[in-house]
Amino acid sequence: MIQLKSMLNCIDNSGAAIVECAMVIGQKRHASIGDRIVVVVQKQRDAGAAGMAAASGAKVKRGDIRHAVVVRTKQKVTRRDGSCIKFDDNACVLINKSGDPIGSRINGVVGMELRKKKWSRILSMAPSQA
Amino acid sequence: MNVTPLARRPLSCLKTSLLRQARQQKMFSRSMATEVQAAAAAATSKTPSQGPDQNFYRLVDKKTKSVRSAFALYPPPLAAAGKPLSPPSTTNPVAALHDLQIKKLDPTGARTALFARTREAAKVGDILLVTHRRGGEPFAGVCLSIRRAGIDTAVLLRNHIGKVGVEMWFKIYNRNVAGIEIVKRRLKRARRARLTYMRKPKHDMGSVAEFVSAWRKSRRVFQTKGAKGKAAGQGGQGGKKKK
Repeated sequence: MIQLKSMLNCIDNSGAAIVECAMVIGQKRHASIGDRIVVVVQKQRDAGAAGMAAASGAKVKRGDIRHAVVVRTKQKVTRRDGSCIKFDDNACVLINKSGDPIGSRINGVVGMELRKKKWSRILSMAPSQA
Repeated sequence: MNVTPLARRPLSCLKTSLLRQARQQKMFSRSMATEVQAAAAAATSKTPSQGPDQNFYRLVDKKTKSVRSAFALYPPPLAAAGKPLSPPSTTNPVAALHDLQIKKLDPTGARTALFARTREAAKVGDILLVTHRRGGEPFAGVCLSIRRAGIDTAVLLRNHIGKVGVEMWFKIYNRNVAGIEIVKRRLKRARRARLTYMRKPKHDMGSVAEFVSAWRKSRRVFQTKGAKGKAAGQGGQGGKKKK
């Protein structure tokens, strides 16, 4: 249930750590897993945590406005077979306007709903899917 | 003295007299209403035996003694069709439907037995492993609650995948669920029906991956040496339930 002002974790190595949702693209409802949103980078991943390479190659800065795809939600997502999935946090992956991920790797589990929404690039980058 | 106000304010006098008359009429009509009600009740008891033409709205007529009520009186539909009403069934139809569906989806009864209220059944707090029929990794987790609702019976499993808590509901009679296995039983019986407190950091169990890998290893011990190579792949699938 991602809507205006929702704070999400950014789980790729683009350099953003925490982002804020500014808009849900293409629908009037809240965003769920696999939906595209516009975000504002609120916190950068600091150099100590991500290593020197990431710090120098940080592709986004604080205050940047980017597009992103929601990959995990706290809100339960029901699947067609009746099973539900729910994560402990809200997370997203930054993408550019054409839909390619800005980071080169993802750390953390992502929802399987991305397959249905045709985000196969992100799915293949993720270490695990649930 | 009494006459003067009348002369001075003729309208008020008229009003009082009118009111009085109206009140009297109301009293009268009230008594009429009670009479009508009683008569209508008598008519209702009679109606089914009489035809539908008797259901015309009727008022009491003093001479003919017929009743005219404000509501149409209809005979019960099935009685009108000529069929006697069958008595309502004693069994719960929804439960019967659930039984039918469960029999269809779980012919061996293994799934029902796994979550029955017995000593051997899985309980909250146990670590369960759910295998999907349609690919994907099997999902293991602590069972936080069992929602018993006939064919919709479901279990809530919680696990940590890469530092993130993940919870999943699984319908136990789902055909896509190839198997549910008990990886590890809780040492002591849980004293709650729903272990929602296990979401809190203090009580969180964390990842159950090591329990699952230990359980896989223990299963391999019991298999014969020749089948060992093949068994590794089937480890998650075999045993407790297939289909």
